[in-house]
Amino acid sequence: MTSVSGAPGPDASPLEPRDGSVLGPPESRVTEDLLYLAFQARALESAVRQLAMAEVLDPGLGDFRVDERSTVVARAMRRRPDATGDICHAGPLSPGPALAFGATPLEFLRHLAGKGTSPASAREGGLSWTDMRRGMIGWGSPRGGTATQVLAGMALAFGRRREDRAALVCESRSALQSGGWHEGMNFAGATAAPLIVVLAPPLADRPAHGDVAAVAESYGIAFGQVGTEPPEEILRVVAAARRRAVRGEGPMLIELLPFAGGDRWALHEALAERAVAAEVLAEEALAAIRGAAVAGVEHAVARLEKEPDPVPADALVPVRTDFSPPPPWTRRDPPAPGTPADESREQSHAG
Amino acid sequence: MPGEAPAHVTRTRSGEPVTLLEAIGEALWEEMERDERVFLMGEDIGAYGGAFKVTRGFLERFGPSRVIDTPISEGGFTGAAAGAAHMGLRPVVEMQFMDFISPAYDVLTNYIATSLYRGAGPMPLVVRGPVGGGNRGGPFHSQNVEMAFFHTPGLKIVYPSNPRDAKGLLKSAIRDDDPVIFEEHKGLYRAPHCREVLPAEDYVIPLGRARTALAGEDLTIVTYGLMVHRSMEAAAELARDGIRAEIIDLRTLLPLDEEAIAESLRKTGKLLIVHEDTRTGGIAGEIAIRMNERAFEWLDGPILRVTAIDSPVPFSGELEDYFLPSVRDVVTAARYLVVY
Repeated sequence: MTSVSGAPGPDASPLEPRDGSVLGPPESRVTEDLLYLAFQARALESAVRQLAMAEVLDPGLGDFRVDERSTVVARAMRRRPDATGDICHAGPLSPGPALAFGATPLEFLRHLAGKGTSPASAREGGLSWTDMRRGMIGWGSPRGGTATQVLAGMALAFGRRREDRAALVCESRSALQSGGWHEGMNFAGATAAPLIVVLAPPLADRPAHGDVAAVAESYGIAFGQVGTEPPEEILRVVAAARRRAVRGEGPMLIELLPFAGGDRWALHEALAERAVAAEVLAEEALAAIRGAAVAGVEHAVARLEKEPDPVPADALVPVRTDFSPPPPWTRRDPPAPGTPADESREQSHAG
Repeated sequence: MPGEAPAHVTRTRSGEPVTLLEAIGEALWEEMERDERVFLMGEDIGAYGGAFKVTRGFLERFGPSRVIDTPISEGGFTGAAAGAAHMGLRPVVEMQFMDFISPAYDVLTNYIATSLYRGAGPMPLVVRGPVGGGNRGGPFHSQNVEMAFFHTPGLKIVYPSNPRDAKGLLKSAIRDDDPVIFEEHKGLYRAPHCREVLPAEDYVIPLGRARTALAGEDLTIVTYGLMVHRSMEAAAELARDGIRAEIIDLRTLLPLDEEAIAESLRKTGKLLIVHEDTRTGGIAGEIAIRMNERAFEWLDGPILRVTAIDSPVPFSGELEDYFLPSVRDVVTAARYLVVY
């Protein structure tokens, strides 16, 4: 069930709707988007598992899961391809939010596989990466919570410039146990930054420590929960949180509740049925959307094998704007006996 | 009057000499006047004006959106500064004491320093604050932090020794597109002998370039920060014995101006490195190996170092004086080296 509560205090605005049962008929363009992204994410989940089993990807990804609500959450944000839209850190919910922000399945697989054509030429890994043009921020630290700190600062910049922009950061629920995350939340609450924080549900075999609502309240941050509501309802909750944040009414923390079981992709299948029943989508159009989403993933899988591996030079890009690291001297030809070190090193680097 | 420039940031405009502390304040004020993207974050920097009053009067002039009093959470607000820098702002983060930078080590080394390399773009931010001993501050208010970060590719580290450099280097740091850690020695903040009249015009001092603080032929002393002054005192004493030391003030530790050191070493043949930071893992070790690589043929003696001893900074005055490098230590090492 979706539930929302505003931050404490007289200026807190209630978020509507509180009841997902009053949904109207699906709206065509948004429905098409939601379905396409969900079908794509589902196909990608399956592809990653198969590639992991084949050891093309890390075998640890054999039980890789995508939360089907993750694409919906990110679809509620204002996305632009020219660095003027919202910012998103997909984190543990990747690739859902990344897909919604314009990433392609092939980019995701290149990144996971550490290919030379990956977004940062394999210089970073993990599930998320940075593409400032499209508003994507990658994982920046081995510790949970750093992304919340950073996106709080980005949101601060939006607020200061009074831009129609907000930041969405998805964190693991284990962030609750990270001091860094709490520092980021505290900062965001204190500065009323337009930030939306989404906590992924705990893994099936992990206990759900902590009262998330109480944490949000302690920072003066609005709180909401998302369960297994229809995608349109989830979209509306996040969109309302975004509008509220951009108006300067502060951040919102949204807890994704665990699925109780059953088909994890049932929400979107139900949406598809409703859309067809309401004649928002024709059967043929629905099939075309599904086919296009799956075809994109199949293309990515087929293409991945042909993608080049990174070359050593990919490691030598600048670490500062004025400095590229030279190749390691000791791994090059040693200086000839009697050659002054300066001269031989310059020769070596010149090579 | 609210919003007017306070006296401590207008002395240069009035032709008066300034302390290093005032030079820092002037640099911040002028950069905030020049570029609205520049803003300040830190603990007690707004209403209170900062622990050392560097930012007194800034809140009244620039408002709370550009002078942000933060929660006591160095990691949190340094991370937020990184986000703001991503979005085109130019944050200047004050650590109340640089000893407190350790909670921000994660975000500085893992996130900020790797930004450009990971494809996340430039990271124009400055983290500045007071460092150094001699003020009886004990282990948590006296440390030098440069070597905790020196090893991290992607960062720059600046450590001025006088007001002129402090102002010009801080302006450069704020205008730089890379993250800069800017250390200010508390012992120099209000030191009367450091007061000087600064150029009236806007000026910057480029990062990564050392200066020759004293020319000489008999040995090279490489140092920075407060130790420049200790070394100058030592040089005066050595001069009475006819020993002419050349003193290189590094000003920027990262990137290190190794060419300036090598050039001096080629002239003197002797190298002494002096730093207030502790011995093991201090910058002397890095300089020594670089000169070993670059100028071994010119060395006429071992490379020596004078540093603090390997211990936390002690609280007691007697213990701290023993802990810190003294003028006598520098003179002794220099005399040994010159006759080697």
